[in-house]
Amino acid sequence: MSYLTEGYTLRSWLTTHDHKRIALLYAVAITAFFFVGGAAATMMRLELATPAGDLVSADTYNKLFTIHGVIMVWFFLIPSIPSVLGNFLVPMMIGAKDMAFPRLNLASWYIYVIGGAFTLAALVAGGVDTGWTFYTPYSTMFANGHVVLVIAGVFVVGFSSILTGLNIIVTVHRLRAPGLTWFRLPLFIWANYATSLILILATPVLAMTLTLIALERLAGIGIFNPALGGDPLLFQHLFWFYSHPAVYIMVLPAMGVASEIIPCFARRPVFGYRFMAYAILGIASIGFLVWGHHMFVSGQSLYAGMVFSMLSFLVAIPSAIKVFNWTATLYKGSITFSAPMLYALGFVGLFTIGGLTGLYLASLALDVHLTDTYFVIAHFHYIMVGGSVMAYLGGIHFWWPKISGRMYPEMWGRAAALLLFFGFNLTFFPQYLLGYLGMPRRYHEYAPELQVLNLFSSAGAVVLAAGYLLPLGYLGWSLLYGKRASANPWEATGLEWQTSSPPPQHNFHETPRVERGPYGYDPVR
Amino acid sequence: MRYVAVWAALLVLLAATAGSSYIPMGGWNAFANMAISSLKALLVALFFMQLRHEGALVRLAAVVALVWLALLFGLSWTDYSTRGASHAPWSARP
Amino acid sequence: MATIQFDSAEERRSASLLGMWLFLATEVLFFGPLFFGYLRGRLAVHEAFVSGSHHIHFWLGTANTALLLTSSLTMALAVERAKLGRGVRLMLSLTAALGTAFLCIKAYEYASELGEAASARGGEAMFYFLYFAMTGVHALHLAIGIGLVAWLWLTARRYGERYSMPVEVTGLYWHFVDIVWVFLYPMFYLLERYNA
Ligand SMILES: [Cu+2]
Repeated sequence: MSYLTEGYTLRSWLTTHDHKRIALLYAVAITAFFFVGGAAATMMRLELATPAGDLVSADTYNKLFTIHGVIMVWFFLIPSIPSVLGNFLVPMMIGAKDMAFPRLNLASWYIYVIGGAFTLAALVAGGVDTGWTFYTPYSTMFANGHVVLVIAGVFVVGFSSILTGLNIIVTVHRLRAPGLTWFRLPLFIWANYATSLILILATPVLAMTLTLIALERLAGIGIFNPALGGDPLLFQHLFWFYSHPAVYIMVLPAMGVASEIIPCFARRPVFGYRFMAYAILGIASIGFLVWGHHMFVSGQSLYAGMVFSMLSFLVAIPSAIKVFNWTATLYKGSITFSAPMLYALGFVGLFTIGGLTGLYLASLALDVHLTDTYFVIAHFHYIMVGGSVMAYLGGIHFWWPKISGRMYPEMWGRAAALLLFFGFNLTFFPQYLLGYLGMPRRYHEYAPELQVLNLFSSAGAVVLAAGYLLPLGYLGWSLLYGKRASANPWEATGLEWQTSSPPPQHNFHETPRVERGPYGYDPVR
Repeated sequence: MRYVAVWAALLVLLAATAGSSYIPMGGWNAFANMAISSLKALLVALFFMQLRHEGALVRLAAVVALVWLALLFGLSWTDYSTRGASHAPWSARP
Repeated sequence: MATIQFDSAEERRSASLLGMWLFLATEVLFFGPLFFGYLRGRLAVHEAFVSGSHHIHFWLGTANTALLLTSSLTMALAVERAKLGRGVRLMLSLTAALGTAFLCIKAYEYASELGEAASARGGEAMFYFLYFAMTGVHALHLAIGIGLVAWLWLTARRYGERYSMPVEVTGLYWHFVDIVWVFLYPMFYLLERYNA
């Protein structure tokens, strides 16, 4: 009797308190949003295949990149790993029967769905053209779209994030199995714990800031309007106080996934475990000190710019520790290039490129040249798509046997991983060059001499789209026809592998006892 | 009984804030207001909310929230305190 | 029972208390942009804030502060009595009544200030915006608190020596809402009263 066979009715799913079922509810919802956001991106890349603005109007293009950003950030990336893999795995990895607050967990999912409904309603009603950043005074005084409706959607989904974060923190503190001390926790738990801290400390600031935008738009007065003594830059400070740490909400859990996969397929304990754990906490906290690097050319004080620039360089230190330690974990390992490993290695490489180009943007002087160009677009897509989405897919493959009780077709998995890696670089590497040449973001037309690089990018987007559809196909196929998975097909060491695949309703037949640290792998087995 | 004493202290502090606002002290009025409010908040947290008896973890949660609020204020203030001091070549002079 | 994840009632209680404290941490940062917006606005257009402040009712605000502080006392006593398992309903009723009285006075204030707020210009308009936004968000929190207390009243029979966690958790929330008001009161009601 597994959690999947506890009930077959729709009702049994929609009223479940089982964290594993709730994780799957999230998986279905975010996958749907991923393809909506992806469709918008596809339209944009089609438009940009030619220099002239011929496929869609400028107005439509603005709405496309807004909805792409809003959906991908808040309805896919942020809930992706914490709410799907985190929900599924956190209780299992710490030997608990469920999350600390199962009803709250289900409520989070419903809140997510309600927020999504608001956003989709705005989309159907005609969309918004402010960009996902809702900058004032455009969003408060001039934009014609359904700003308030989208803000309502983001506000609501924010509470879903907060409640998930709160649930994870309390679960990790209160429900660890006997013997599972903090420094015996897998790094995936550390990563989701730190992410949850960011979720509860940053998300409320965004919620209130967006409320203030909506109020100012509705009432005609507010604190961002300079005519009343307000300050439009205040919005940017408040917005980026959330939205820079939000990058770490997306990438820390991805680091957690990589830290599980790489030791398993290198058959080596993770190198420098404690440093990895401290680096996670370091990134989560330093990440709160750097938001002003989004405002270097905004009219923010130069001195503030210098402070934020210097602090931004600091984030590179814990990030580099992680990259070096993943690499050192591979050293003298016996490496298997299975599909999850390919995704994880792809994550490390792409994250490194994205991170290093982030240093260009953190340099005050260089940013004047690069800001608001495709260089920025390429940089954050390397982090958020090359990093987070690759890791998410790697995690889905790695834990697929546990989640579904079936093996995915290995060859297809590897093919998709390679295709995505290739398609991703073809799409986004040319954008670094385009940005460096001065192509600004958020325009639906561009100078004709930039067409060759844009064509590469659009061609890459086609490959990428195919790469994303593949897993949907073969993972779906494996649900019905895949080979039955054993309890521990990868011979991995985590507690989640010590129970059957798929697990029973309350995860373990007997509460596990933990006597040693994680990653007890041996390369010469 | 202890609760009643705390409540009485809170009302005395309320009288002190309200009264102090009628004494001209310039900028110190705001300081007095915030100091008294913080004291009141501390009393409520320590006694009514039982923070005195809570473990390190709960105290940490309370402190972290305030530290993060201070980050929001402090780092934003690096901008507001020096906004007029000098201008970037690319930004317009007021 | 949805509590299989806990080994004991005590583990459940401590998890719930931690959960509420974390939620309150979230609440602190939820109010953060409002407080920072106020600080920046007050330093930018100080005069307008002072004159705005002189238009709102000192005595009503002060009376309301006293009501709310008293409601915190009754809430604390409610928690104490819930653990003893007797007399909790009386204290819950008093708490809810004091909260409701606060909201009634606040509503009266709003009604009498609305006209002036609508005709305010410049920085004074921003002052009124912050006043309505911040006290409004606070009032919303208080209304939710009253709802929670009413629910506790209805389920009062469940609480006793063994199980009083919902009363404790609601108490934390109630006190937090009180603390927010303790700061809002001088920020809006007490600006240069000696010049009024
Ligand atoms: Cu950033």
